[in-house]
Amino acid sequence: MDFKAPDLRAVEAFLYEEVRLLDDREFEKWSDLFTDDGIYWVPAKPDQKDPYDHVSLFFDDKEIRETRIKRLRHPKIHVQIPHSRTIHLVSNVTILEKGLAPADFVTRSNFIMMEDRLGDERRIYGGRYTHHLRVVDGAVRMIQKRVDLTDCDGIYPALTLPF
Amino acid sequence: MDGIDIGSLVRDDAIHQSVYTDPKIFDLEVERIFRRVWIYIGHESEVKEPGDFQSLDLFGQPIVMVRQRDQSIKVLFNRCGHRGAKVVNEPCGNAHTFRCCYHGWAFKLDGALAGVPQREDYPADVDLDDPARGMPSLPRVANYRGFVFASFSPTGQSLAEWLGPATMGIDELIACSPEEKIDLSGGVHRYRYRGNWKHQFENLADTYHPNAAHDSTVDEDGMQFKRRPGSTGGRAPFYDKDGMPLVSKIGVWAFPNGHTSEGSMFSSVSQTGGVWEEYRAALAARHGAEKADDILKQKRHSLTIYPSVDILIAQHAVRIVRPIAADLTEVLVYPVRMVGAPPQVFRDIVKYLNITHSAGSFVQTDDLEAFRRCQIGQSAEGSPWCLIARGHRSDVTDNNGVMHGDRASEIGQRNQHKVWLSLMNVR
Repeated sequence: MDFKAPDLRAVEAFLYEEVRLLDDREFEKWSDLFTDDGIYWVPAKPDQKDPYDHVSLFFDDKEIRETRIKRLRHPKIHVQIPHSRTIHLVSNVTILEKGLAPADFVTRSNFIMMEDRLGDERRIYGGRYTHHLRVVDGAVRMIQKRVDLTDCDGIYPALTLPF
Repeated sequence: MDGIDIGSLVRDDAIHQSVYTDPKIFDLEVERIFRRVWIYIGHESEVKEPGDFQSLDLFGQPIVMVRQRDQSIKVLFNRCGHRGAKVVNEPCGNAHTFRCCYHGWAFKLDGALAGVPQREDYPADVDLDDPARGMPSLPRVANYRGFVFASFSPTGQSLAEWLGPATMGIDELIACSPEEKIDLSGGVHRYRYRGNWKHQFENLADTYHPNAAHDSTVDEDGMQFKRRPGSTGGRAPFYDKDGMPLVSKIGVWAFPNGHTSEGSMFSSVSQTGGVWEEYRAALAARHGAEKADDILKQKRHSLTIYPSVDILIAQHAVRIVRPIAADLTEVLVYPVRMVGAPPQVFRDIVKYLNITHSAGSFVQTDDLEAFRRCQIGQSAEGSPWCLIARGHRSDVTDNNGVMHGDRASEIGQRNQHKVWLSLMNVR
């Protein structure tokens, strides 16, 4: 096997930085972490294989992701007035395998996200992240961020912020 | 009902806010509306093979819809005839028989008792063949072109009478399939909100709200995000030349028994381009070119069947509304596969339904926030009436007893509350 795994600490640092951008509401910078064809995917059923013939909570390509972020910045996004405050915790990081191209690799980690919005019920989400990553010009980029929520087939309140 | 004069809560053009917030009124709605009229249970394509089942919860009661060996569909109370445990615990699946987890009583697909462990120890005067020892069927079950409805009441209008001319919404959706066959196996979006079920129902006939509620979906140039596939489905203008949102001009229709319908923003232009040309050809092969064109124009945004289901014709989806409590409602949205259409057409439907009707969609999140704020606001004293007066007295009656209101008329809400009052007034 000629796959040389990247340094685990460097991968963890990337994952921490990725969710920090969300918690700090730096959504545009978060979106920039994706490759041009990068996908943010939150399946709506356990072990969902297919994002095309089955609904997903989120299956965002660049265009949809940017529309979503633009809307998060809109002064009349009523469902985020006041906006939520979140923290994401990432742990149990492992590097699974090499990806399709030599510079690609896949990581798996667990996460918990807490979301508070004034006047609304506290929400706790949890599950598994699977990041398909690629090193582009020395920087790590996301080909896909997949979020398998433990209750992905449950019933959700209005969702506005990325997991 | 003790202490509540229902008749005093609904006026022609206004509703008393306690109908949304009072838990006693909710309990009465369950008794007098939901347990009397026809409730949509599911689509036959969700239970394709004998033994296929879907379990659900209706007004606090566990229910299971099951495909029988003779291909008919039964809707059973999901309760063991022995000690009352819920028998089927999976959301869906396939079974040869249903077996209770507690003492092992087994039931046939039609709910009849099939087996009792150590049966010989029951005394002779206990009749284990009594249907009450099985999983009974809901009193009435009926199917309109694959849409399965049930009623908790053994008497009342037939399904055909209840639906009346509103069947045209189901007919128009099915006509979108070149084989006149639809399939709901693409999963389901599920969301809930801390608000009354009537907030969602009123919203399904509300063309007045998009300007304010969905402002954040409109760009600075007045164009809305791309929400439909095909060459006519790109970013679309949101406002007419006079500044009024186009959606406020599509018109609302009011059918007997509280059903409502909205016109379509895309009624004059067929979807074209790419795979839609292939789709159009498939429709034309079935219906002829003229009707194929007509189907692709989607003259109706949706048809909402009171008080349980919304047929989304323009967006090819089915939306179920399930009241849980006065201040809690669940909504399920299924994408509809039009059998015989190119596979990409369904993929486009799934893609756009994700951004218009998921819990995280651009559109529903605005509505859910409005419902939540209605529920909170309607607890405020001072002025307890909610106005549904737009277009009042200017409604036009078509044939079939269907009425029409223009320019964001609140005719749909008036229609829903009229039937609400007549149902709630019957003891």
